Amino acid sequence: MENLPKFSEEKIIRDLLPQKFGRRGMIWTASLIAICCIGAVAYIQQLSEGLVVTNMGDYVSWGIYISNFVFFVAISLVGSLITAIFRLADVQWRTPLTRISEMIAVSAIIFASLIIIVDMGRPERLYYLFTHGRIQSPIMWDVIVITTYLVLSLFLLYITLLPDIKIMIEARQTLGKPFAKLYTWLGSFWKGTIAQEKIRDRAITIICITIIPVAFCIHTVTSWLFATTYRPGWDSTNFGAYFVSGAFLVGAGGVVVAMYVFRNVYKLDHYITIRHFNNMGKILVMLALLYLYFNVNEYLVPAFKMKKPEEEHLAGLFAGEFAPMFWFAIVVGMIIPILILVFPKGRKPKPMFVAGIMVVVGAWLKRYLIVTPTMLHPFLPKYDSPEKFSHYFPSWQEWAIAFGSLAGVLLIITMLVRVFPIISIYKTITDHESELPS
Amino acid sequence: MKVNYRHKLIIVFLFLLSVCVNKIYAQEEPPVSTPVMGIRYFLPANNLPYLEVNTQTKTGRVLEPLANIPVNVYFTEQADENFLGKIITGRFGKGRVYLSASFKSTFDSLNEFTFIALSDTSARIEELSSEIIIKKAILVLDTALVDDIRTVTAVLKEKKENEWVAVADIEMKLGIKRLLGNLSAGEEETYTSDSAGTASAEFKRDSIPGDEKGNLVLVARVEDNESYGNLIVEKTVPWGVAAKIETGFWHRSLWSKGNLAPYWLLAIAFFIIAGVWGTIIYLVRQLFIIKKLGKIAQVETKPTS
Repeated sequence: MENLPKFSEEKIIRDLLPQKFGRRGMIWTASLIAICCIGAVAYIQQLSEGLVVTNMGDYVSWGIYISNFVFFVAISLVGSLITAIFRLADVQWRTPLTRISEMIAVSAIIFASLIIIVDMGRPERLYYLFTHGRIQSPIMWDVIVITTYLVLSLFLLYITLLPDIKIMIEARQTLGKPFAKLYTWLGSFWKGTIAQEKIRDRAITIICITIIPVAFCIHTVTSWLFATTYRPGWDSTNFGAYFVSGAFLVGAGGVVVAMYVFRNVYKLDHYITIRHFNNMGKILVMLALLYLYFNVNEYLVPAFKMKKPEEEHLAGLFAGEFAPMFWFAIVVGMIIPILILVFPKGRKPKPMFVAGIMVVVGAWLKRYLIVTPTMLHPFLPKYDSPEKFSHYFPSWQEWAIAFGSLAGVLLIITMLVRVFPIISIYKTITDHESELPS
Repeated sequence: MKVNYRHKLIIVFLFLLSVCVNKIYAQEEPPVSTPVMGIRYFLPANNLPYLEVNTQTKTGRVLEPLANIPVNVYFTEQADENFLGKIITGRFGKGRVYLSASFKSTFDSLNEFTFIALSDTSARIEELSSEIIIKKAILVLDTALVDDIRTVTAVLKEKKENEWVAVADIEMKLGIKRLLGNLSAGEEETYTSDSAGTASAEFKRDSIPGDEKGNLVLVARVEDNESYGNLIVEKTVPWGVAAKIETGFWHRSLWSKGNLAPYWLLAIAFFIIAGVWGTIIYLVRQLFIIKKLGKIAQVETKPTS
């Protein structure tokens, strides 16, 4: 925690303890709950009437739900990037960002698991996946790896929280009653002894080492759901790396947005500093360039060969039905953020926030573009199908559920922020103490 | 100056030409779409006949299906008691109605029938009508094996008074039923019935694959004949080569059932799963140790009274 003024331990604890929602916080939470409720109503309708309420059909059998699923899986990768990779690389300035990224990861992966159930026409048959699952199927690999990543992410969030829970139990007078029982239940056993500290430290290192390959697996396997299917736009050996690079980009973009929001809402200017924005800006540029590189590979090579079945798909993306969305995702989601962030002035909080929003919105559209246009252009010619199967625009139920799930992710983050510190208090104090002249 | 004048002349000429071309195009009237309706008679396996109604729009030379048209079909004449049924044409502009059991006695007593199709008054188009007159006929399919030569024979007979009489000079198809259509049984595409009403084809397709027992389905068809409509008969014969379908489904493979996954896949998958989940179990155990250490520390720091 470099550049932190000579704050006392009490001041740091006071600044970083979870705070009650103000008026804005209440409105924000109520809005998210309302959106979630609308999504729930739409889902109940889908459950009672079936997938017929969606606009998915014989060709576009994966629509906005699967786009959302891929987006959530992508953004959840940030937990492994900021916490695990930065820790193993001994990046000193990571402290204020790790908790934020862990919370985003947990929230996103929970909703990734839920949205895949929403996409099922008969969700009560989920049970069969475990009783009759085929290990040969990439869908089964995805189920296994998502469950593993969820458990590891929760474990990482929990074990890094233990010292902070002790601080919160001690500060229960200040925090008030609402969550005192929860804190006691979660971490009253944590005394901060040397032996406990040693085991915890080793456990975090083990999780960090384990979570990186699992995180790579989760998105590689998700990409294989597409790449193992022989279709224009998905028939690529590059898909794993392409998906992982895109996931790191959207994850980093999400963290930048969260950094800016939390810094302003909770007045954390001394903790989330210009330096953090500057460093995250550089990382974002690197990741955007990397993802742009993979995009060039993914689109230029098939476009150069222009095999007949690919032609219609690529023409739709470059100059057809999906062109505005495609060029928005490329230009606004990648090129403009690079141009903003490549200059030091662009790596200030406000432009960083704008660039982060662009990256996240562009990334969501990109997932939609990966899923839908390909489904509309199968290799086998369409035969004996009604005209409406040749187009796809989600129904209001699909939009409501998709936005409900996005609001759900934000709601979980909001609730976690209300209950737990956004920045590790314990780590901030120890970092601060180690920097002070003895 | 002379060059300039010439240029001007060319520009004026091109302008006038383009105006003329535009005018010519403008004068072309849009083609008129006319709805049309047809009715076809089908007798499969000399059994229960059915009628197929077809509604289309004709624009120039192009025919497009006309869907959702209600059509009433009558047998012999347009009267309530002769009402066969109401069809609503599907998205390909087609619909069918079967001759119900109540018309059996009428059907048996007649040698020539009239079928009338009238578009319903609720249709969004002008009233359409179509009529066909069909002579009662049957088609019989038979096979023979003489001196190792296989022959497919179809006989067409028409009912005249109380007798079945052979019909000559009728074109028919003799084929073998395949997945996407019929393959001609002989060398010709079509065959014509002789004075005995018989059309024959020598079956030379000895090595053609049949089902698992080597069975083939032979088909004889009279198609869209003005007098007899469509007659179709089939016969199963053991003339094909028994197909051996190697699916590999019951062997260990990536495409077989869950309990038949390849050993290498099982080994890799379970090795990874065991490695990662073993680590998670180890971490949970570490958490319990932390918890235990916390309890010990609590006991040690508890003030003694």
